[in-house]
Amino acid sequence: MHSTTRITKWSTAFAAGALALGLAACSGGTTPAGDDGAGDGGAEGPITIGFVAVGPEGAWRAANEQNVQDTFTAEAGFDLKYAPATNLDQKSQIDAFTSFVDEGVDVILLSATEGSGWEASLKRAQEAEIPVILVDRGIEPDDPSLYVTRLAPDNVEVATAVGQWASDTFPDGAKYFTLEGPTGVGVVNERNEGFDSVIGKRSDFVKVGAQTANWSTEEAKSVIETVLKANNNDIQYIFAQNDEMGLGAVQAIEEAGLVPGVDVKVSTIDGTKNAMQALADGKLSFVAEYNPLFGDTLLEVVNTVLAGGSVDSQIIVPSTTFDSPEAAKAALPDRKY
Amino acid sequence: MNRVKGLVKKPPFWGFVAILLLLAINLAKDPRYLAITVSPVTGNLVGNVIDILRVVAPILLIAFGMCLVIATGGIDLSVGSVMAVSGAVAMQYLHDHGAPDSVGDALAAIGLALGVALLVGLVNAVLVAVVGLQPFITTLVMMLAGRGLAKVVTQGQNTNAVNDPMRWIANGYVLGIPVVFLLALVLIVVVAVLIRRSALGLLIESLGVDPKAARLAGVDRRALLFSAYLLSALLAGIAGLFATGSVMTVDVSQTGYQAELDAILAVVVGGTSLAGGRFSLGGAVVGAFLIATLDKTIVFLGVPASATPAFKAVVIVVLCLLQSQRVRGWIGQAGARMRAARKAVA
Amino acid sequence: MTEPVVEMRGISIEFPGVKALDGVDFRLFPGEVHSLMGENGAGKSTLIKALTGVYPIDAGEIRIAGEIRRLNGTADARNAGIATVYQEVNLCANLSIGENVMLGQEPRSALGIRWKALHAAAHAALERLGLGALDPRAPLSSLSLAVQQLVAIARAVQRESKVLILDEPTSSLDANEVANLFRVIRRLRDEGVAILFVSHFLDQVYAISDRMTILRNGRYEGEFLTKDLDRTALISTMIGKDADALRSIAARRARHDGEPQVVLSATDLGRKGSIAPTDVDLHRGEVVGLAGLLGSGRTELARLLYGADRADTGSIIRAGKRADLRSPRAAMRSRIAYSSENRRDEGIIRDLTVRENLILGLQTKRGWARPIPRREQDELVQKYIGELGIRPADPERPIKQLSGGNQQKVLLGRWLATQPEILILDEPTRGIDIGAKAEIQGAVAALAERGVTVVFISSELEEVVRLSDRILVLKDRRKIAELVNGEHVTADTIVAVIAEDAATAHEETEA
Repeated sequence: MHSTTRITKWSTAFAAGALALGLAACSGGTTPAGDDGAGDGGAEGPITIGFVAVGPEGAWRAANEQNVQDTFTAEAGFDLKYAPATNLDQKSQIDAFTSFVDEGVDVILLSATEGSGWEASLKRAQEAEIPVILVDRGIEPDDPSLYVTRLAPDNVEVATAVGQWASDTFPDGAKYFTLEGPTGVGVVNERNEGFDSVIGKRSDFVKVGAQTANWSTEEAKSVIETVLKANNNDIQYIFAQNDEMGLGAVQAIEEAGLVPGVDVKVSTIDGTKNAMQALADGKLSFVAEYNPLFGDTLLEVVNTVLAGGSVDSQIIVPSTTFDSPEAAKAALPDRKY
Repeated sequence: MNRVKGLVKKPPFWGFVAILLLLAINLAKDPRYLAITVSPVTGNLVGNVIDILRVVAPILLIAFGMCLVIATGGIDLSVGSVMAVSGAVAMQYLHDHGAPDSVGDALAAIGLALGVALLVGLVNAVLVAVVGLQPFITTLVMMLAGRGLAKVVTQGQNTNAVNDPMRWIANGYVLGIPVVFLLALVLIVVVAVLIRRSALGLLIESLGVDPKAARLAGVDRRALLFSAYLLSALLAGIAGLFATGSVMTVDVSQTGYQAELDAILAVVVGGTSLAGGRFSLGGAVVGAFLIATLDKTIVFLGVPASATPAFKAVVIVVLCLLQSQRVRGWIGQAGARMRAARKAVA
Repeated sequence: MTEPVVEMRGISIEFPGVKALDGVDFRLFPGEVHSLMGENGAGKSTLIKALTGVYPIDAGEIRIAGEIRRLNGTADARNAGIATVYQEVNLCANLSIGENVMLGQEPRSALGIRWKALHAAAHAALERLGLGALDPRAPLSSLSLAVQQLVAIARAVQRESKVLILDEPTSSLDANEVANLFRVIRRLRDEGVAILFVSHFLDQVYAISDRMTILRNGRYEGEFLTKDLDRTALISTMIGKDADALRSIAARRARHDGEPQVVLSATDLGRKGSIAPTDVDLHRGEVVGLAGLLGSGRTELARLLYGADRADTGSIIRAGKRADLRSPRAAMRSRIAYSSENRRDEGIIRDLTVRENLILGLQTKRGWARPIPRREQDELVQKYIGELGIRPADPERPIKQLSGGNQQKVLLGRWLATQPEILILDEPTRGIDIGAKAEIQGAVAALAERGVTVVFISSELEEVVRLSDRILVLKDRRKIAELVNGEHVTADTIVAVIAEDAATAHEETEA
């Protein structure tokens, strides 16, 4: 196995809670938290959870939200109310959030489409003593007193792993190019930050440029096609900030008559099935997973919170990296997204 | 001299100048920018110009459709989404049924994709021409609905497929020239001939300038609107096949994203008023080439990603200013004043 | 004699290649209504623009209240006490009446606009024109266009203007509204305001003005007291030729002999809310006048005959066969043509050239797939430019640059090119100068000679009487009479028919 699992920053408090409630989670159908602060009104019956979700956005989000829905099932003793935003519109999310508060659900899960503008809604939930757990997306300004915890993979960490791999793979340095997501998006900045924390220290790495390809395969192909020409094919490495762009870069490299993985190495972040396939085929050289499947962890957190336990305000979901075709082949059959 | 003056007043002229200027900037960065070589590996022509030809193909198609719709006094905001729908249908079909080297499957996928694109166009046309909704609202709704449809088709996935004939259409070469460009060229020539050699151009213009007067003059508004919206959707569908075929992947949230803006920009840069009426297909061609060249130049020069939108905006604004009669008047006056001042000093 | 409040002497204005005004004199006395007369292009608007400071003058001098003034811009003119109300009302429909009247001169205090004072001042200004009944707080949009125009005048004279310029104020008003406007004008005149009046309607000019100045081709032709100048003399001075040319049209055309051939017969043709079921027969080579006041249903009837609106009762027999005229295209296929009264919005296609406008009708008739070859287009355009006297004779000029009369001629050409058997002309002579009017009337007469049936609609009864073989009189959206034209029929006859109908209708309701 070439894959390595890194579990980091687990708070001791949370580890204890998880341990305690791991048993409850195993016991399946029984309601683990019959009598808690938020659910006094009707202690009987399933626990209601309001999920203010992002809705259709892409493969990653689809996998993530499906995973949450598969976790909080009726069999597990939950009544999950799934409320995806209409067209990524924040107003529809706030409306859903407010009606969850009014209904008096036991827990609210929130994946905000936009970071800002949540203070009033979160305060209402606080007054109604409904715990709010942020799923993946954070809020701005980040005020941990307004929510219980935020559960997400850490972009900086994931990108640092990419940087580390690049640093190891090119001991003598390389000329590289970065394919970024849309300018100004938080994810892009975080992924740059993690990558630069390693590569920035290496003076033998020469950044020939960075350009946005808006997460798109097609745009990435077009960008790399021109970048290669502008640099007389003298590029050894491309850091693509998501899988789709990495796959576009590979095609541009092939069109230019070069061999991906040999002449130019491409690394990506996310770990979708398509990328794993390309890694298995030797076209991509490195894929860092940004793990969407943290329903189990989320379940534990919810149970801890409902039992009155305390959790860390920031919980980082462990992610995996894949650095060889073998690792990819091993992971492929289980890829859900 | 007079002819030059007349030329300067024609809006596409400045778009043309801008293209030459961008090429000159690229040449200044790399003297071999315009060089076209034969790739030793693939045997195809390779060069930045060839890349521009490939990039311009989908823009040309949607700009042409947009130009006609705008000329009728409408607008088609759904072209980008139609690209996504068409690409999604083709990729999903090939993903599910296609044999990797079957020409028949490729043709079936294309036929199916264009059929769905035409369906979206038909909804636009019915809502605008029969129901009488505003084009802006109608096509805005179809822009949202279209992308939603694309997501339904692929179940939210960015579906990829393997089909060599399809890939060849989007990436292949004939006589060293990209197939997409040749196809786009043939299509726009056919459309241009159809429009300008028949009376369609005149009828569309009269409809765009004054629908009431046109109706009383016997212009068949409904038929013209149907033709314009259907043609726009068909061309956008083909553009969608080009875009997705080039990477054999449909990106349901990114394919054709904001393509409608590129198309509108190309049309306006080409000197067609958004108010409808008089239109210039040649201008739209110049506009499309400008946008393709601009996109490629940004990458070639390595303009920082964060500065890209600003760079694009500056080029477009300057261009629009140069096209404005009033601004040209000011520049002329300032020039005259400076000349006079110089004369006075001498 | 009192001093003139405005005196312009030897005014010349030159545009590149054109001498728009050439040594024109003009004076305006307080307490008089003075009409500026001339064909389109005679220099009326240019002279007005010189007086309102829009155009600088190249020669001559302007005295206002005895002082020589240089007017650089409209603000100068306003400060000199010259107010203008243009043809197109220039108000803000979304503001109240009072705000419109006081726009730019709102009484203010530290806290902003003093609304009470504003409304009081607006009321006073309206009262002065006899419009005291209007509520200054009501939105302007609640008023009809005609009353809006009166509000525009109130706004113009609100600032103690000595001179009021009214440029074509009556072109979109009906008879009642014109009477209202004239009452206001007379009131202002009696207060000592000098009023410069421009209109194409000779009746109105004679009704309201005390004095006239006539221009022709940018030159001054003379100043006359209205009572000293009869119409014939006025017209011949304006067009610079003997008025016999005009009279020849008035001479009755040779009567048709033999059986009249019915080309269209409509029975019970009607549409709810626009015209009551009406019978109409049209004969070959006949001019049928539709007479009636604005809103009497004459345009509505014409639109039903052309399929511009769909009839909901009745049927049409065209050339012996039942015809379903449900769209203009269907009517065109039946060789019926219709030229709308609304030349600007329903007639010309502004941005297109004279050539394109002219061939449009024939082109739509042929269909998009059969474009008219360029050579044929050029021949057609040359033919109608020549026949109808379209000026300037430049086929590639955008039609919006032509005068109203010439635009109308292009539209006439558009329909003639489709070779209609029935041609419906709705107000073809409104708002155009007298020369073009005569040419269009001449063309109508000539068409009828050639066997075309012409339905002729006009607010000017004299014109209807002069041209028509038969006159349908409409009132309150129904046909009230059909008159065969002859010696005994005059404009007064028609007026009498309309008035009598009012009397009988009144009696009927009484009984």
